[in-house]
Amino acid sequence: MPGTHEKALEIVDLQKRYPNGVEALRGVSIAIEPGDFYGLLGPNGAGKSTLIHCTTGLAQPTGGEIHVFGHDAISDYGEARAAVGLAPQEVNLDQFLTCEETLEFHGGYFGMRKADRQERTKELLETFSLTAKAKERTRALSGGMKRRLILARALMHRPRLLILDEPTAGVDIELRLELWHYVQKINAEGVTILLTTHYLEEADQLCGRIAFIANGEIAAQGTSEDLSRRYDVANLEDAYLALVGRRELSRSHVEGDVAA
Amino acid sequence: MTPAQIRFLSLWRREVSRFMKIKRQTLGGPLLETFLYISVFGGALGSRIKELHGIEYIVFVIPGLIMMALATNAFTNNSSSILQQKFMGAIHDQLSSPASPRELLLAFCLGGFVRGLIVATLTFIVSIVLTSLGVAHVLVLIPALFLVGFFFANLGVLIGVRAEQFDDVAFAQTFILTPLIFLGGVFYSASLLPQPWETLTRFNPVYYMISLVRYGFVGFTEVNIPLALGALTVATAALFLVNLRLFQSGYKLRS
Repeated sequence: MPGTHEKALEIVDLQKRYPNGVEALRGVSIAIEPGDFYGLLGPNGAGKSTLIHCTTGLAQPTGGEIHVFGHDAISDYGEARAAVGLAPQEVNLDQFLTCEETLEFHGGYFGMRKADRQERTKELLETFSLTAKAKERTRALSGGMKRRLILARALMHRPRLLILDEPTAGVDIELRLELWHYVQKINAEGVTILLTTHYLEEADQLCGRIAFIANGEIAAQGTSEDLSRRYDVANLEDAYLALVGRRELSRSHVEGDVAA
Repeated sequence: MTPAQIRFLSLWRREVSRFMKIKRQTLGGPLLETFLYISVFGGALGSRIKELHGIEYIVFVIPGLIMMALATNAFTNNSSSILQQKFMGAIHDQLSSPASPRELLLAFCLGGFVRGLIVATLTFIVSIVLTSLGVAHVLVLIPALFLVGFFFANLGVLIGVRAEQFDDVAFAQTFILTPLIFLGGVFYSASLLPQPWETLTRFNPVYYMISLVRYGFVGFTEVNIPLALGALTVATAALFLVNLRLFQSGYKLRS
């Protein structure tokens, strides 16, 4: 498909059944345009991480198609993966490596030349305030620094599509804002972002388009306003609560109860 | 360099970097162990046994010890490295890169092979200083060491990929690898064993590997060298292909 109107990410009828019989994805289809900031929201176990793992080669789909900038993620995985940067939900840094080596080796895995790797490593360590920790092993970093390093690693090979799987889970407010400022900046520069998060206000502020996923299926997608209209509620949070069948938790109900 | 070459070298450098950072454990420990074997068997037993098949006993034993150092270090490095990376989740960084299954597998194999080769080479250097060990058949020795190292590096990859806990790796090493090596004729000659041990020894594949390496160093053998080299080549290639299939299918690596 390269050459036609390329989507940054096009997923068609994606299915994933695990060997234990669990159907994590049941025919998911989404299309993300280049430059989009796209949110994928859903409860735990909805299939968000499985979708991300299928896109990045960490899980093998049992049906459907995934194209990254026109490259098939299965048959043309080299080009597809080269276009994607992944900041995973869990801290998965190699504890034997220093911060500098983490970035340097990652660049190597993506075929970057030495001079380019060195320059990019320096640049990212500075950007994420990790220069002073360059020679320290990753296990010596604080939780926030590990998060920064994971994001720096995802950006090391200059991906055109950045996938952020709950990147701010458990981080303090300053780091959270710092990360979002940077991510917004690179999105403005043209990097497409796919974000999963449980912070709905974050998704509301950052994402141009949002998909709700539940039980391995896309329940709805569109702008925050589209989703509110779809569920006949006032805002994204209430739309999400409607999706998961917990309308009674809506702040408008709770505030009403308290006032009464 | 092509992007594929850069990827492969980076994957391999990561493996070497890992064991060099803990070299007291990965290189120092195995070296000490080998020297203890040399001291005990050379000093204690050697003073009693003197010679086997006309070869000084310690010189007869050292090729087996060199082969054992190569095999166990190549195996341990890869099985531990892969399992550690699976536990940390760090292997995802490699698996989500454009590196092909072949590049990943070759890099892991070469990492373990290099560690085994470093320990084996240091053992050899000390041995030629302390004993009269030499090299009798270099054209057999080099391919034999290469094949033995590559075979056990692949075996380590296989166990590391299959393992779900450190006990799985320890089990393979303690209950399979070590007995096979110890009963493969490192410290003795199979032809001097009583029956049925002599015949049983000939069913142990490690016996042929030790025989090849011993022939390369001291020129003594009880096996058909071309046949043993051919069989080891086939076994190593078969194991590599099995691993390649596992990496292609993502068995226990990709969900």
